[in-house]
Amino acid sequence: MGSAETLEIYPLKIQRGLTQLSFLRIPTRPGATRPLFDLLERHGVPVRFLIEGCAGDYNRDLIVCIDSEAFTRLEPELKEVEIRMQTQALELRQPVAVIRILGPHFDIRPGTSSLLFGALQRADITIFSNATTITSSMCVIPDDQVETAERVIGRTFEVPKKKK
Amino acid sequence: MSEQSKTLEIMRRIGAPRPEKIRISGILQSPVLASLTLLLPGGVSDSAAAVLEILGKHDVNIRFINKYKDSAGNTSLCLCVDADLLDTAINSLDVHEESLGIRDFVYHPQVIVISIYPHKQRPRVAERLLTALRMNGVDPLSTNNASSVVSCVVNRDSVEQALACLADAFELP
Repeated sequence: MGSAETLEIYPLKIQRGLTQLSFLRIPTRPGATRPLFDLLERHGVPVRFLIEGCAGDYNRDLIVCIDSEAFTRLEPELKEVEIRMQTQALELRQPVAVIRILGPHFDIRPGTSSLLFGALQRADITIFSNATTITSSMCVIPDDQVETAERVIGRTFEVPKKKK
Repeated sequence: MSEQSKTLEIMRRIGAPRPEKIRISGILQSPVLASLTLLLPGGVSDSAAAVLEILGKHDVNIRFINKYKDSAGNTSLCLCVDADLLDTAINSLDVHEESLGIRDFVYHPQVIVISIYPHKQRPRVAERLLTALRMNGVDPLSTNNASSVVSCVVNRDSVEQALACLADAFELP
């Protein structure tokens, strides 16, 4: 496991004021999630965060984060989307933030994701959701924990200082 | 015949309208990996960090993570590791099964992560990816996005079919 001091990352990218929507237990069938993505596309709403996973019994869970301002605009139409998707539950969390950690090469350094998750957990940061691929990890956390998370990540990895 | 297969059969018979291709810059695939999906007790603090620490101590590379709370409040943790380290990963977690509170454990020994660039947070890229795969009978085990890429985990047996239908759904340079 590499030393944390040697792991340099790019400046954090933080998107705040978001809403996390969890569409839980959607039947697995082609186009099941289309009503949601069509709605987002029609209103020009970017998907800040997305994960989809198996929920058992031919069901899927879909988690997305969008700007809270956009959520307010879309909210009246969401009930119909929920029905068309045949989702069994829709859970909302807001306000949340997405922190993107880019650079530590999670794939070639065993223990890198453990450094991140462990440091955030020790600081009592709640990670609602996480999406990690080769070089980036995106954490959805409560918006009011962003400053603490920034400090913790700054102590765990080498983050370039912001220019004044 | 499962409900999913019936739906697919009907859609194939009646023919779905062919949407315009979405232009992308590339499709990448990972080396052969193995996926593990763990169901952990939920709550404010879960044992995901402990799972990752155990795997890290056993030199297990983690190339893909999906973590979220499911409908029962459990934490669903999907990990992809190097395929040749699957046994090491399983054995190391097995020892700590009780302390980690692992409630369920599913693994797929040979999977590939397929990534589409760029995603740029466009809803229709993710939608097209998921629909195109399922229309062709490929069910992604797990899907996630980073800022510029959307990635999905598929069984190795389905990779050729997945790549063929994605080449049909997206316009490559």
